[in-house]
Amino acid sequence: MPTVIELKNLTKTYHLGDEVLNALDGVDCTIDSGEFVAITGPSGSGKSTLANIIGGLDKPTTGTVVIDGTDLSRVSDRELSDYRNRHIGFVFQSFNLQGTQTALENVMLPLVFSRMKPKERKARAGACLEAVGLGDRLQHKPSQLSGGQRQRVAIARALAVKPSIILADEPTGNLDSARGVEIMKLLGDLNKQGITLIVITHDMSIAKQAGRVIQIKDGKMARG
Amino acid sequence: MRFGDYITIALRNIRRQKLRSALTVFAVVIGATSVTIMLAAVFSLKGFMTNQFEANGTFQQVAVSPQTDITWNDHNNGGNNCQDCTHLTDDLAAKIGAVQHVMGVARQTQVGQFQALQYGTQKLRTQEIIAYDANNVIKTTVLAGRDIASADTTGVLTVSSDYADKLGFKHNYQALIGKQVQLLAQGYYSGVGVDALQQFKDQNAWFSAHPGADGRDYQPTPVALTGKIVGITDASNQSYVIRVPLDWARGMEESQNAQVTQADQDAAQAKCRNQRTPGNCNTQPVPSTVTVTDELAKQGYSSFVVKVDESSNAAAVAKTIRNTYKVGAADAETDIKQQLSIFNILGLVLGGIGGIALVVAAVGVVNTMVMSILERTREIGVMRAVGARRGTVSALFTFEAALLGFFGGVIGLLIGYAAVLIANPIINKQLSGNNITGSNIITLPIWLILGVVGLTTFIGILAGLYPARRAAHLDPVEALHYE
Repeated sequence: MPTVIELKNLTKTYHLGDEVLNALDGVDCTIDSGEFVAITGPSGSGKSTLANIIGGLDKPTTGTVVIDGTDLSRVSDRELSDYRNRHIGFVFQSFNLQGTQTALENVMLPLVFSRMKPKERKARAGACLEAVGLGDRLQHKPSQLSGGQRQRVAIARALAVKPSIILADEPTGNLDSARGVEIMKLLGDLNKQGITLIVITHDMSIAKQAGRVIQIKDGKMARG
Repeated sequence: MRFGDYITIALRNIRRQKLRSALTVFAVVIGATSVTIMLAAVFSLKGFMTNQFEANGTFQQVAVSPQTDITWNDHNNGGNNCQDCTHLTDDLAAKIGAVQHVMGVARQTQVGQFQALQYGTQKLRTQEIIAYDANNVIKTTVLAGRDIASADTTGVLTVSSDYADKLGFKHNYQALIGKQVQLLAQGYYSGVGVDALQQFKDQNAWFSAHPGADGRDYQPTPVALTGKIVGITDASNQSYVIRVPLDWARGMEESQNAQVTQADQDAAQAKCRNQRTPGNCNTQPVPSTVTVTDELAKQGYSSFVVKVDESSNAAAVAKTIRNTYKVGAADAETDIKQQLSIFNILGLVLGGIGGIALVVAAVGVVNTMVMSILERTREIGVMRAVGARRGTVSALFTFEAALLGFFGGVIGLLIGYAAVLIANPIINKQLSGNNITGSNIITLPIWLILGVVGLTTFIGILAGLYPARRAAHLDPVEALHYE
């Protein structure tokens, strides 16, 4: 499998008043295409910072993030935005759906930014919702859906742009265990279809399902 | 992002906070409405007045008045005969007629010695009787019959329609044409139609009959001039006007004096010499001749109206006449432009008030947008996460603010238009009540429509710039976790 993500000597420093906080302190790591990687660690270990840098939401203080041959630490906001749009599907713990819009409209949002035609957008978003088992809930608003269904909508939104990587930050954190299992199964199935899956979690039962576990502690990799 | 998506998303967001959006738009509406109404009214009125003057040919005219140096000394020496005055004489009229760009000169005078116009048994008070050259320099609107023509000399006159109305010919002006009327002169009148010798005799006879009487009690037989009405003129520019041919006016202004000659005195003496009781003989000579003074030629006309080839030359001609002939000369344009400039100031002031309302509205837009962005921080985070560029987020919020301004402008224009629709019939009524032709004079020119909508939209954009910038520069990671 070719390498899709290559992190070299990543550091991320935050300045909180006089205090200097090293969220990441020299992380080196590669992830291959189609891998299922779990990033674990205690709260404040830097695992979310790492995920944000891989997802192109944040830039490292030093080091390089090469994804599909592009160094994200050197590109403009514009290119970084386009990278998120084309390559990354985000799944958040709190779903982050737009409450005033239907499931379909929520899934169409990334396609709006990729300038897809409205008709194609609708078809594509409908297909994604179908794929996550919500084909009959297209016009429902998030408030009319259960927690598990909401997370499925979020996953459908992540799938909409046919990403090569799905980044899920505590995807089961707000769900009961049965719904959590369902969501992890759905994500696992997507990984089997070839999408690189990175799950950030502190739940060891979820980490166990991954092909590889990267443990972060105090901004450093403990095991990889 | 596609342009259509900007509209869809911006509209959706405006609809989401209906009350807040409505209140924000309302503020813009107030500003836009006031700007629309004020500018439309001011510029339409100004345009209307300018057109009125242009239609009358007023801008092609220069008014010449005698320059009277009314310092106290001159006044003391006898106001009328002041030496420094430049009289508007026929000679001067000819000279002015030769000035470059001058097309014609109308000599104008007013006769004040008539107190009434009599038709049958009806008597109407007269103000002044005017007369001017019938050379088309001064234009008159004739409602019935014809205007005074250059061939007319005496015995004809035109009256303005308000005289005709008073005489009972309100909707029947034509019936008054050709009718005889009398112009009744005042007591001291000595112009044409007066028999000065007879007057002298009458006066003597009265004093003989009333020995020791106060001369002020003597009432000479009133003189009446008969004339035929040939036309009824429009009273919209000036009311109660009687116009006579210039020749007739010249006669009216004449002063006739019974003249006692040497022969008359000799005759009186001779008569008494033949009397037996010379002491009782009346040696008062009886005048036999009358001297006629052409007062108009002597005192000059009251004004000249000079017609200039192009209205653009009027100011220069006025200046030339002023400087060359030492008379007063004013072109209408300079004068009227000065009067009309009040409209510019009015427009600025009123437009400024609307402008202030718009500035306040802009602050409202900023406030709304800042609030909106705070509420939608997480949403902005999601948009950024799924691939919205900074520029896209910025454009989206700027667009939303512009749309608030645009709606405010459009609604304001509609209200302004409604106000114009209401105001025009009222103004029409006023105008026709004053015999002024013109209807629906307040218009919304296209530049005003585009200008108002453009301005409010631009204000929306300006007001949206800062909030949009703030939205675009939110850190996506923080925005996603914003509570």
